[in-house]
Amino acid sequence: MTKLRAVAVKELRQIRRDPLSLLMLLGLPAFMLVLYGFALNFDVRHVDLAVQDHDHTARSRELVAAFVRSTYFDLAATPAPGADLEDLTARGIARAVLVIPGGYGEELARGRPAEVQLLLDGADANTATTVLGYAGAVVAEANAEALRRTLMRAGGGEAVTGISYRPLVWYNPELSSTRFLVPGLMGVLLMLTAVLATALSIVREKERGTIEQLRVAPLRTVELILGKTLPYLAVSFLAAAIILLAARALFGVEVRGSYLALLAATLLYLLGALGLGILISTLADSQSVAFQGGLLVSLLPAVLLSGFIFQIRAMPAFLQLVTYAVPARYYLVILRGVIIKGSGLGPYPEEVAGLALFAVATLGLATLRLVREEA
Amino acid sequence: MYVLWRIVVKEFLQLRQDHRMIPIVFVAPVMQLVLFGFAVNTDVTRIPTVLVDQDRSAASRALLDRFTRSGYFELAGVEDTVSGIDGWLVSGDAQVALVIGAGYGRGLSGDGTPRVQIIADGSDSSPATVALGYGRGIVAAASREAMAERLREWVRRAAEEGRALVPPGQIELVPRVWYNPDLKSRWFYVPAVLAMILMIMTLLLSAMGVVREKEIGTMEQIIVSPIRSWQLIVGKLFPFALIGLVQVFLVTALTVFGFGVPLRGSFALLVALTQLFVLNTLGLGLLVSTLVRTQQQAMMIAAFTLMLPMVYLSGLIFPIENMPRAIQYVTYAIPLRYYATIIRGIFLRGSGLDVLWPQALALALMGTAILALAALRFRKRLD
Amino acid sequence: MALAVEIRDLGKRFGAFRAVDGISFDVAEGEIFGFLGANGAGKSTTIRMLCGLLRPTSGSARVLGIDVAKEPEEVKRRIGYMSQRFSLYEDLSVRQNLRFFGGVYGLRGAALAAREAWAVEMSGLAGKEDLLTGSLPGGWKQRLALACAVLHQPRIVFLDEPTSGVDPLSRRRFWRLIDAMSAEGVTVFVTTHYLEEAEHCHRLALIHAGRLSALGTVAGVKAVFRDHAVLEVAAPRIVEALETLARQPFVRDVSAFGTRLHVVVDDAAAGVSRVVAVLEAAGNGPATAERIVPSLEDVFIHHVQHEESRRREPAAGP
Repeated sequence: MTKLRAVAVKELRQIRRDPLSLLMLLGLPAFMLVLYGFALNFDVRHVDLAVQDHDHTARSRELVAAFVRSTYFDLAATPAPGADLEDLTARGIARAVLVIPGGYGEELARGRPAEVQLLLDGADANTATTVLGYAGAVVAEANAEALRRTLMRAGGGEAVTGISYRPLVWYNPELSSTRFLVPGLMGVLLMLTAVLATALSIVREKERGTIEQLRVAPLRTVELILGKTLPYLAVSFLAAAIILLAARALFGVEVRGSYLALLAATLLYLLGALGLGILISTLADSQSVAFQGGLLVSLLPAVLLSGFIFQIRAMPAFLQLVTYAVPARYYLVILRGVIIKGSGLGPYPEEVAGLALFAVATLGLATLRLVREEA
Repeated sequence: MYVLWRIVVKEFLQLRQDHRMIPIVFVAPVMQLVLFGFAVNTDVTRIPTVLVDQDRSAASRALLDRFTRSGYFELAGVEDTVSGIDGWLVSGDAQVALVIGAGYGRGLSGDGTPRVQIIADGSDSSPATVALGYGRGIVAAASREAMAERLREWVRRAAEEGRALVPPGQIELVPRVWYNPDLKSRWFYVPAVLAMILMIMTLLLSAMGVVREKEIGTMEQIIVSPIRSWQLIVGKLFPFALIGLVQVFLVTALTVFGFGVPLRGSFALLVALTQLFVLNTLGLGLLVSTLVRTQQQAMMIAAFTLMLPMVYLSGLIFPIENMPRAIQYVTYAIPLRYYATIIRGIFLRGSGLDVLWPQALALALMGTAILALAALRFRKRLD
Repeated sequence: MALAVEIRDLGKRFGAFRAVDGISFDVAEGEIFGFLGANGAGKSTTIRMLCGLLRPTSGSARVLGIDVAKEPEEVKRRIGYMSQRFSLYEDLSVRQNLRFFGGVYGLRGAALAAREAWAVEMSGLAGKEDLLTGSLPGGWKQRLALACAVLHQPRIVFLDEPTSGVDPLSRRRFWRLIDAMSAEGVTVFVTTHYLEEAEHCHRLALIHAGRLSALGTVAGVKAVFRDHAVLEVAAPRIVEALETLARQPFVRDVSAFGTRLHVVVDDAAAGVSRVVAVLEAAGNGPATAERIVPSLEDVFIHHVQHEESRRREPAAGP
């Protein structure tokens, strides 16, 4: 116990001596939260729409009004006939161009279908897909409305209603992206700082040769690992607290569920991350390799393969299998439950098991590797 | 020139000696390409849906069928009451609930209002928004069809009664998508890997390369020689620029032949403008190296204060148009922003210099300024 | 004789810390000049200023007649420098290191080949040109580093603790190289904290806490003991003996050397008997004392203690 404490105290002193790294460990989370909170936004709303109306009838103006009324589209330009429409999107003035052909109103009045064109820049496929979906909905509603009015007229004023569609959002009714970001960011940042800090700390001792000194000392591997891990566990918890505080102070996001559940899940997650860091450090010989390896196995999977931003469902089967080895995947589900939905650990037995398994696996492997190196 | 040559030769000899460079140069791009080609996909499909059908009619089953046939929704389970939904959404087993109100079928044929509600789990706000939009389109289509059906009946009856009832014409939306007609999100993300790889290779490695010599003490030995600052800078940075060039060939080949993304513009232009971008990243790397003492600090600063924000604010992944106005102005200071536009312009739109000259100019100006600033700070002294 | 180095009131401050605090001395051409001091005394800072690596905050220094503050690049062109750690590229071979450093100094073609051959010969690395530098033993690396530093045949070479961490045999071999260079007329400015190495130097400067505390030939520096005698004292309880003697007014200096004490007194014969008497009276007997020839280490410790006491009591004077 004394030895363990000696290692831990030494580690804490070194953390304190290196203010830049400490600042990175603690300041980075808040910085990223702000950055993401403002910048990261996939929601496509208020799409800039250019309208080229060759028809100029009440009907064509009605369609344009329907687009604007949907709140999905903002009227950004009304290019004259013959204008270069491709250039309009290439220069970013409009994301899409609606072209209403001449005779549109007349065709409709005669009961014949009338085509309108929606020109889109498909380079950003995601935005384009969403914009297409919105436009489709607007047109479908306009069609339904036209039918409804005809029905009403024909029925002699009898009220005719289409299907009433009432969307409802639970847990995050205003669909605030910061509330959605907090769990994902905690997953990414805790993984990042915990893995990097531990990976670098052991490799640094290797590079400086001080690891020999530790090996010579009558320390058991477990004591060394725990001594190395506990201080970073503390720092990582501090980082987690900073994220939560910043989220609350800056964006008003509060934890709705139990703090105890949050603490338990975070502890399991961090143990796995720290184990991963130590494992990397047993494999790497230099700080730069450890750093790059650490970035590769912590940051990329936590951002890309956790379901944080990109839906796991949409990935090909082999990548979906890979995601089972990404602890952030489990942590994220639990955090969304606890922070946003106000639940406890109850609904997530599989996720908790996944986190525990990952922690046991990484810490076990790390211990094995260290023992072998000593032999 | 000769002194310069000696430094370049030395850098290459060291690179060859450094066995971990091989994986960094070759494995990292492939791994990133795979991740970005397959994992980065914001298409919202097969949203797990829990159904509460309070109508239990042929019409409600037809609506469900519309939802699942669209490909956007997938039936995950059925509940009898709305209160049962909570469990599904909390556990994440379903992301939306489709509630078809009692009397939906009767409502469709004109007897009351047919009601449909979609409840989405807002904790993952982005797919929730999209799901609500899709649901709206599907419901509107169902609504339109039901009314069209009724109208056809009325038109028939009116004809029998000798009256004329003209059904309204229906609008048909004809989308025309430029550059990427199948709307493959892969086409958007895979070329972005080129920018990421280049940035890591040139910015991180140049920062570390200089700091490493400081750490092992050889920098002192070089500074004391009569070599000129610019010779040292150019000699040290040139190999990284060359590696960057190799990366352009490698990543472009994989992008075009491996992922089938078209390269519509000129490859020569891509290479030329890439050099302008690399000017910026090498300059930033050098700048970092003048600010720090250890490789660890260099890595931290380069990765967290430069590379991450640059990636997020460049429009490479997150559209700049979605950012608040103030942040949009910030993005103008980010070289990667211009390079992202250039890459997508050349790959997908086949743009030439006539369109991309503002970006090229911005990169050239910023690159020169950054490099000059770095060279100014990089004096041949220890204090 | 022409001057290779002229230093006038040279000073360097890092914030409030005066690393070098106004030193002045000259070094003649062809001399081996030893610059002695403890770690942190200001040796490396001085040598770095002379090489144009650090800018002096006060005073001036000329190397081969060139002002190091005004024209550091001109100085760099004419000097050789070997820093504290042998800064070679460990991941390059012997030949690749030589070619690189030769190239950095503008050597090329036949001239480079000739100097390369000379360097390999001089450092005794013949047949090992293609080995990785990192795999060489310390003594060889150090000779290679010296060879790299003088590839361009400078008229003066600065060596900053060139022999730290090297075995005694390699050290001796290294000093033979230095002697040979000096014989060819190259000025050698060397810092060290190995006092036995200082005996090789023609002249010495002792620096302590950023100030010069002694300057002259080896014999001259030792001459501070002309009026004093150094006694080597043995007693059963050495620490206690040190404390006892330090309290005696007739004892000028006392310091521990291994299991013995070195005691500085004014008069040798009287000193021996008084020391033995004092120790045995204190119950620390049997004690012995005999006069010895002072070593550089005695000189060094004497100067440092002298300097320290002068600083503690500035009013008392020297």
